[in-house]
Order: sequence, then C-alpha cells, then structure tokens
Amino acid sequence: MDNLPSLEHILGIIQVIFIIAFSPLIVGLMRKIKAKSQKRVGFGIFQTYYDILKLFRKEEMVSDQSSWIFRITPWVNFVSAISAGFFIPVFFVHSPFGVVGDVLLVVGFFGIGRFFMMLAGLDTGSSFGGLGSSREMMISMLIEPALFMTLFVIAGFYGGTNISTIVSSAHETSFLAVPGILFALIAFFVLMMAETGKLPFDNPSTHLELTMIHEAMILEYSGRSLALIEWSNAIKQMILFTLFINIFIPWYIAEQISFIGIIFGIITFILKVTVLGSLIAFIETNVAKWRLFRISDLVAMAIASSMIGMIFFFL
Amino acid sequence: MDLLQISAVILLIATFGIVVRRGFSDWVHAYRYQTIILAVIVSLIATVTNILELYLVAALTFGIKAIAIPKILFYVTKKLDSPIKLEINPYVTLRSSVIISALLVIMSYFIALQLPIRSNEIVSVFLPVSFSLFFIGLFIIISRRKALSQIVGLLTLENGLFLSALVLTNGFALTIEIGLMVDILVSVVVSSILLFRMSQTFDSVDIRNLESLRDD
Repeated sequence: MDNLPSLEHILGIIQVIFIIAFSPLIVGLMRKIKAKSQKRVGFGIFQTYYDILKLFRKEEMVSDQSSWIFRITPWVNFVSAISAGFFIPVFFVHSPFGVVGDVLLVVGFFGIGRFFMMLAGLDTGSSFGGLGSSREMMISMLIEPALFMTLFVIAGFYGGTNISTIVSSAHETSFLAVPGILFALIAFFVLMMAETGKLPFDNPSTHLELTMIHEAMILEYSGRSLALIEWSNAIKQMILFTLFINIFIPWYIAEQISFIGIIFGIITFILKVTVLGSLIAFIETNVAKWRLFRISDLVAMAIASSMIGMIFFFL
Repeated sequence: MDLLQISAVILLIATFGIVVRRGFSDWVHAYRYQTIILAVIVSLIATVTNILELYLVAALTFGIKAIAIPKILFYVTKKLDSPIKLEINPYVTLRSSVIISALLVIMSYFIALQLPIRSNEIVSVFLPVSFSLFFIGLFIIISRRKALSQIVGLLTLENGLFLSALVLTNGFALTIEIGLMVDILVSVVVSSILLFRMSQTFDSVDIRNLESLRDD
C-alpha cells in the first residue's frame, strides 16, 4: 500500500502524456473523416504530426512592430493547455493532481490561453487580428456563462466540482439514473463545438476574411510558434472530448489500479474518442457555418438546456 | 421508473425543437418527432398501468397526429406560394424565446409542485411536462407572426392537454378519445383551408394582415 500513491502519480503523468501525444492524431482522424464524407481523399491521419514537426524546423518570422506578448502567447497557450490536462482523468478514474484544482480551474486555464490569444491578435496591429479577437471575445463572452451553468448542473448531480469525484460517481450511477444530466449533455455538446471552433461556430479550415475567427488571430504566426498553437489547440480539443466522454459515457473506465483494467480502459477510451470524433466530423460535414449573430441562438439553446437541467437537480 | 423520467426529458427536448426552428417544414418535422415520442409515452403508460385501451390510443395518436396531420400541413405548405417560408422576425426573437420557454418549463415544474395531486409516479413525472407543453404552445401562438407556426403552437398546446388528461385520468373512454382525435384532424383541415385562403388573399401568411378589417 505504501507505493500506491507514487504509482497513481505515474499513471497521472502517463495520462497527461497520452493526451499530449494522442491529440494530433484525433485532429488528423477528424480531418480524414471529414474529407472522406465530402468525397475527397484527404491527408493521412498522421498528417498533423508531420505538419507540427515541419513547422518546428521552419524559420520563424516575428513582426518588429509586435511586443513580448506576441512572442510568449504560444508558450502561454501551450503550457495552460498542458496544465489543464493534469486534472483530467483519461482512462483511470483518479487524477492524482485533482487535489490541487477542479473543473473550474480547467476552464480558467482555457480562459488564460484564450485571453493571451486575443491580446496577441490585437498586438501586431493587423486588421485581421483585431477582427478575429473581437469575434472571439464575443463568442467567449457568450459561452462562458453557459459553460459554468452546465458545469454546475453536472457538479450538482455528481456531488462536487472535483473532476475525479464527478467521473467516479458518473461511473457508479450511469446517467440513465439521473435524466437531468441529459440536458447537461446537450448543453455541453453545443459548448464543446463552440470551444473547439467547430463548424456552426467557426470554420477551422477557412482563410476567408469574412468568416474566420480563430484563424484570423493566428494569421501572423509562423514556424515554431504556429506549431505550438496548433498543438495546444489539439490538446484543448482532446481535453474537452475527454471531459465529455468521462462525464457522460464513463463506462469501462478503470477504477482500480490493475493491469487488465487499465489496458481495457485505454482501449475503450480510444474507441469512444474515435466515435465521438467521427460523429463531430459528420456533423461538421452536414452543417454550414452560421451567421455570426445567429451563434447566440445556439448558445441560448445551451443556456436553456442547462437551466432545465438545474430544475431537474432541485426537484 | 427511470424510463418514464427519461421519456419525459426527451419529450421536453423535442418540444424545444419546435421553438428553435425557423422554417415551415422544420416545425412540422419537429411536431412529428414530438408526437412520435408522445405516442411512445402513451404506450409506456399503458405498459405501466396495464390498461390495454391505451395501446389503441397510442396507435391513434401515431396514426392521426404523427402521420395524417403532418401530411396535411406539408401538402398545404407546398401549395403556398409564399415567397419566404421562414419566420423572419417574430415578435420575440428566437434566442429569447428559447430562454423564455426554459423559464416556462421551470414555472410549470413549480406549479406542479404546488398542486396536491401527485398521487403516483406517472402523474408526478408527466404532469409538469404536460404543463410545459401547454405553456410553450401558448407562447408559440402569441410570439410568432406566421399562421402556420400558430397552428403548430396550437397542436403543441393540444399535445400538452392530451398528456395531462391522460396522466390524470388514465385515459378517457375510448369513444371520447377518438372523437377528440378526429376533432383535431378537422381543426387542422379547417385551419389549413384558412391558411390557404389567407395566402391567396394577402400573398403572405403573416397574421398582421388580419388585424385591419376591410369592407369588401
């Protein structure tokens, strides 16, 4: 029993490394599925890794008009994404760093990353950057209250904002026993699409100045910084997927430290993430980007859904 | 009974489908989904209470409300040559109407908590849902401008009434039930004719056209 905590810590670190290493693969997979469903051939699923490696070797151009904010933003973004990853249980219920922070801290880490991203967009003084920043500000201002409300519904049902607590009690009482969670599921799904910049909200593959949001902010980046930003976005998306999976469909997650359980947990997790990624890719194929001012309709839906979830909690 | 609760939740979600949609055919589709779920709920209640008549009611609900009425409405909307088949600017914007509907759901849960008739599981699960269907339907009627969405609001309201009557009384006599269904069918036919006349007279189905009376 004496060496159990250290084993748990090793597992926690493995989980973080798993998230970091696995995240570009999911991005590649989703791009591939999207391409396939649009009758294109598409790149291989490992293309994201090649992209990141190539960008790391490339020369980086920094505008001499920009300040230190522009230079540190990719690092802040990357580090905040990784730090958020420490609190997420992936295939094992307990995340050993959960004593330090809860799900609100994860949202806070995302907030820091996004804040610096918006500053960097404004920093270079290019008109596109400012445009992207202002749009991003509008969207994040809309989704933040909805996200908190959804998280409070989940925390209310599952007894606490600590992610390990949430996941373990979600694992014990499947959501079929608490129907109010269904509302939180809908809200969380919508917000997940918004946070990761998926299609009704933002088209991640466009460079058309009228429609791009996230791309507009990172337009000035090149080389290593761009690689870091791409990677931290992949990690952020992976973290949100993991949260979604482990809160709403946590079946077969490993609860005890046992070799078979953890292997089983990893396999089912990979399966679930693949299914979720393909589902989102199909949704992205089927919808067009919405007008910027209709985005608040979707967010209103998420808010309404989490409000009703709240009522179900108090009943 | 978790199954009852889950079906109630799905019915609420389907009701929100009517609130968030903008197009003519989207409402009818959303209404059809809602009614299919309602029919499933009726058969669930039949299973729980062991009243065999209710299976027949479920089949009637499915046949008349989920197949016949959407068919009629689709037929009418296809005939309409209204230039834009969208709810362009309703009296209340879509996003606030979603929030208001959520508040209505909350309100109906509180009302149901106040009532001293929560005798069994079915009543306590479905009565608040039927109230919210009623209120949301009423809200759709007063907040939209197009006549078709008002019909859909009326039908939603009727679904709520039907559900509340069903859970409180465990089903009327079958003849009354059949009579009600046929009534609804007839009312939809009549309102479709009105809709058609309206679009022929005014070239639009905007109900503001009905506010001014003319002498010709």
